[in-house]
Amino acid sequence: MIDRIDRQDSVVNRIIDGSITIDSVEEFKDLFKAFPNDPRLHRVFADRLLEEKSINAAEEYKTSAKLFLDAGMPLQAIACKIFEWRIIKPSKEDGLALHSALCECNPQNIEVQKFFTKLAYEEMIALMAKIVPHNYPVNAMLRKFGDEENELCFVISGALEETSYHRLEDDEKVKKKSKTNLIESDIFGEIYPFDEDKLSESDIESITRVELLKISKLKLTALCTEHPNLNLLMQNLCKLRFDANREMYSKTIRKATRHQLPMQVNLKIFQEQSGKPPLKLSGFTDDISLGGTCVVLGAKYQIGNISDLTGKNVKIQMNLPIESISFNILGIIVWGKEIPVEGKKTAIVGVQFKEINPVDRGILKGYCFGSEAEQNLIWSLWDSLMEK
Amino acid sequence: MKEGLNTENKSTPKILAIGGGKGGAGKSVFSTIMAFWLARMGHRTVLMDVDLGGANLHTLLGIKNPDRTLNDFITRKFNDLGDICIDTSEKNLRLISGASDVLSLANPHFSQKIKLMTHLSRLDADYVVLDLGAGTSFNVLDFFLIAHKKIIVLTPEPTSIQNAYIFVRNAVYRKLSRLSSKNPSLQALIKIAMDPKNILKIRTVKELFQFIEESDDTNIIEDLKKEIGDIHLGVVTNRVKNEKEENAGRIVQIVAEKYLTITSTNFGCVSYDSHIQKMVSDMVPLINLDQSSQAYGNIYEIATKLSKG
Repeated sequence: MIDRIDRQDSVVNRIIDGSITIDSVEEFKDLFKAFPNDPRLHRVFADRLLEEKSINAAEEYKTSAKLFLDAGMPLQAIACKIFEWRIIKPSKEDGLALHSALCECNPQNIEVQKFFTKLAYEEMIALMAKIVPHNYPVNAMLRKFGDEENELCFVISGALEETSYHRLEDDEKVKKKSKTNLIESDIFGEIYPFDEDKLSESDIESITRVELLKISKLKLTALCTEHPNLNLLMQNLCKLRFDANREMYSKTIRKATRHQLPMQVNLKIFQEQSGKPPLKLSGFTDDISLGGTCVVLGAKYQIGNISDLTGKNVKIQMNLPIESISFNILGIIVWGKEIPVEGKKTAIVGVQFKEINPVDRGILKGYCFGSEAEQNLIWSLWDSLMEK
Repeated sequence: MKEGLNTENKSTPKILAIGGGKGGAGKSVFSTIMAFWLARMGHRTVLMDVDLGGANLHTLLGIKNPDRTLNDFITRKFNDLGDICIDTSEKNLRLISGASDVLSLANPHFSQKIKLMTHLSRLDADYVVLDLGAGTSFNVLDFFLIAHKKIIVLTPEPTSIQNAYIFVRNAVYRKLSRLSSKNPSLQALIKIAMDPKNILKIRTVKELFQFIEESDDTNIIEDLKKEIGDIHLGVVTNRVKNEKEENAGRIVQIVAEKYLTITSTNFGCVSYDSHIQKMVSDMVPLINLDQSSQAYGNIYEIATKLSKG
């Protein structure tokens, strides 16, 4: 089992958050050579194939679902399966196979993920028939204060901001109470108990691109009446949302935090033909992690087709602000693309690090993120000064 | 490199550096409005675009194609930095544009940088406001460290806070590194200390000082303490929407004091103003902003504090 998805890779993160778009199947194939088991990347590829109405989309959703299950993320796997089964109608064996995989899955320690592994076969099928995927762009208002609470939403990917309000007794005026974030594998929608009509006490707005699975209160009520065990599991899930998931929030955001301070670097790209001198380029890192980096090349890169660099070995020389520190990291170019910067054409390459000696790794970590103690203090102050 | 240029000569301008690391925190907008207010207060002010990798400050002042840029100074077309200052529509406010081929000046040679820094102190102005580029390359940090007032601008978001702190952390290590450039063993020690999990278990600048004190027989420790102690930060939280968000700058202050032993002043907050975002995207000069804007008022207060300080 994959312990967790490697979020250390800046190239994949940039593709997932939409700040880099991949245009062709060939580009994806190159990326899969470097990141063969990243379910998020397979999911982006499957969506692309679906857009192109390619029959291969179903197979790609299937692959992505399997990888999500391996990573302990049944919710995301189910989203993939819904798309796969929209393209190719599933047989009963397919349903049973999925249920069996869910039961065997070792889910992440998040209530929503555990929930999907506890469903009986009939409950899983009934639920999958009623939940519907929805996509939202950044800054979309999904719910406003006072809206009727009439659906339950599962966050497949992306992040949202929830701003809660106090409702004053004398009139409709409200004052701001708190802000929290909803992220991947969280849920929202105050629909319990079913027989109470509730109005939203918060605004919910997307802060990145977001994908949700939604089910209406009406449909869920009917399902829960038919499947009492599902009713119990759902109630429990909604109750736990405010403790376990809340705790997971800051941990997940910490994992997702990326170093975005550009750094000047020199690249030495080795040619395949022996005897041919390496190509020397310079640029700056656009995003760096311990797993890799994106490098925006200088305006004079002049190397012809940028995608020809894919697969080539590279030595990155980094000049850190300390006088005596300039170290080299060996990597492989996994992707390249021409992009506009400040109205002019340049190129960006994604590099996956192959080899960093432990000393350099430590220094790079300090340069990018500081020590664990420093980070912990920042997060603890964030929690106490900004969140509560 | 000596931090803080000589101020004894009355004609030496006071240099304010606006940094903070991450792109998109509003450094350029803040620098422009800050320079505008200083000029309005009657101070002869030069706003300089030190974003050597992606200069765009001229557009915020409504100047489409600056006829002189830093390139012209670096390439010796003009020998005096004052000659490349461009007048703006605001009395007392001039601009040194960094506009050039994108990325081509991002890493000037050491001698070019020194020349630029030397000439900064000779500018005929009361204030020079340096709008630093994103990142923590040593060039950005060096411009930050020579300023009399070192201001970091951040927004109330986790990544912005973290990146602003890392910017300050790297500036401190940059300074330590320069101060110890003639002492190889000390340089090596600083390199070790940069690794958060170093074998010597040095976790803070304070612990680094203790270690040096115990192991080094020279008197450099007092100089190091003094020089690092002289780094006094100004912190500004930008695009604030509510009271809680005002605390973002405080987070950087607390962590910097604890781990880097540097003190700071919280210069306050700048309110979120959607008009500013729209003006930037529509390329409307920022000095045309309605002065009843809360953000304008906030920066006026900060400019007042800075000019008195």
